[in-house]
Amino acid sequence: MRWSPEAGYFGLPPFRYRAMTNASTVLPDAAIGAMRRVPTARALTTLGRATRHGLEAIGASVRFAARTIGAVRDVGTWGPAATLQMRRLGVDSVPIGVFIAVFTGIVLALLASYSFTGAVPTYFVGTLVEKTITMELAPVLTGLALAGRVGANIAAELGTMRVTEQIDALETLGYDPHAYLVVPRVLAGTIMFPVVVGAAMLTGVASGWLASIGLLDITSPDFVKGLRLFYSGFDVRYGLVKAASFGFVVTLIGSIRGLRASGGAEGVGRAATSAVVFSAILILVFDAFWAVTWLLGRRP
Amino acid sequence: MKRTNDLLVGTVVLLVVLTLTGATFWVKQTDIGERRTKVVARFRDVGNARVGNAVVIRGVRAGTIEAIELARGGWVHMRMNLDRSMQLPATPVVLLNESSLFGEWQATITPRSALPHDETVQAQVEESSGGGEVLPGATLPDIAKLTAVAGQIAGDVANVAGRVEVAFDERAARELRSSIRNFADLSTTLSHTVRTHAGDLDTLSRGLQSAVASLNRTATSAELMASRIDSSSSSGQIRQMVDDMSHAAAELRRATVQVRVMSEQLSKTQGQLDAFLTNGDSVLVKLNTGQGSLGLLLNDPSLYRNGDSLLTQLRGLVTEVRKNPKKFVSVRLF
Repeated sequence: MRWSPEAGYFGLPPFRYRAMTNASTVLPDAAIGAMRRVPTARALTTLGRATRHGLEAIGASVRFAARTIGAVRDVGTWGPAATLQMRRLGVDSVPIGVFIAVFTGIVLALLASYSFTGAVPTYFVGTLVEKTITMELAPVLTGLALAGRVGANIAAELGTMRVTEQIDALETLGYDPHAYLVVPRVLAGTIMFPVVVGAAMLTGVASGWLASIGLLDITSPDFVKGLRLFYSGFDVRYGLVKAASFGFVVTLIGSIRGLRASGGAEGVGRAATSAVVFSAILILVFDAFWAVTWLLGRRP
Repeated sequence: MKRTNDLLVGTVVLLVVLTLTGATFWVKQTDIGERRTKVVARFRDVGNARVGNAVVIRGVRAGTIEAIELARGGWVHMRMNLDRSMQLPATPVVLLNESSLFGEWQATITPRSALPHDETVQAQVEESSGGGEVLPGATLPDIAKLTAVAGQIAGDVANVAGRVEVAFDERAARELRSSIRNFADLSTTLSHTVRTHAGDLDTLSRGLQSAVASLNRTATSAELMASRIDSSSSSGQIRQMVDDMSHAAAELRRATVQVRVMSEQLSKTQGQLDAFLTNGDSVLVKLNTGQGSLGLLLNDPSLYRNGDSLLTQLRGLVTEVRKNPKKFVSVRLF
């Protein structure tokens, strides 16, 4: 017995099907139509439908992630494609991360200097640049940028493969699409996002340092003093772990959306767009999640 | 193509990892290869000092705090990495203090002779001394504690000021002004007294000078008299004089006794006179206030008027008797 949201069972909408199978709850069509016209009942129906769709989406994503993790065992399938994906998703993304970090570091140094006029010593510019770049801006901004580049790329690529039935062909040939297509991308994203973010951290702090020396009245020893003042290895660890989680989420969402694409080129476009939107939202959600679970109550 | 990808990915990953690690080591000033001297100090409490804070010798950064850990006996051991070129001062002591208002702490290595003159710090250093290779340490109060103490002092001062304001009202100010005026009068009086008695002292001084001169003269006379006595002692005149003086002294003693008796009698008489005067004063007071019959007699004008009227009538009666005695005197034999 096959079910779909549009047709329900046996080609009937679910509501009619339930009404027909239970004699005590059989309602005439007029009564059903009247209920649907009541605003409260319509709102409750909409809410229930949205809840069901949300839970279905979460469940499907979790199943997809579990299946992807299970496919990691098939190293022979995803291994050869891994470095290619690492280069495409990671190495090729380094210039974007570095470019963003350069300007972020400069702006941050200027902003800190502007904010610290008065009683706060200027060497705190170094502290603020280091803390903000390594713990927040480098992972989040790079993650958002890569969500656009990587997430859309994966969704479009896999979506095109789906609508052109290449994935069906792979399945016909006995390949597991998860092991062959998803695992290398997710692993590449999880491993290479921290690398890109690490490069962005170095670049951002360096550009903030140079901006402080060149544009502000801050000496290099002062900036270094502020940099070292409250520096902790945890700052970098925290940023890199966040970046890895962002990489996992962005590539997984891109893969999910791509493999579920349907409806030709338009469907591929929708998949790419939704991949970017959901990736960006989940990056911010994960950012808050890590802050609450790892930063809250922690003493430097 | 595949090898190129592998090479490229490996290179980028290695480059980023190495750069990030190197930067972390550089920022944390990690001692790679044990090129630094390690020094351990012990404290009862390390305040807000943290791993990575600066270690300073005479104001110059000499290293960093490498580790802080609890030790036996209620101590906290702090391990510090110092540059090899840095030499510790003689009898070194480690002070933990705030280096700025923004919560930064530092460890300052200083000679014991340069410790601040603070009893608490001295006591901490004395207590933490004797740890062998472990340096003694003390923790200075942080800004928050000082601020709290300052706030408490400010509160106390405010309380005192409030009480003074309550106690020193307008009336108190008037009384104080009055006291000041009285004190000024008193000082004027004292000044006057001093001036007056300065004259008396001058007089006394002059009297003493004349007395000393008289004494000198008396001494001269006594010397002369002694020479005369010396010359007259051979003829028995001295014996006669002594006898006469003894007789005179006996007479004087008798006279003295009589004078003492007279004096005692005079004292008794004076007491009786005082009592008499007191009683008289009391009687006079009663008379004046109209108490008693005599007082009434003296103070009641109607009595005088009655007496005067009676006297007038008596005079008229006497005149009448003189004129016509038979009217009043009737002699009948039978």
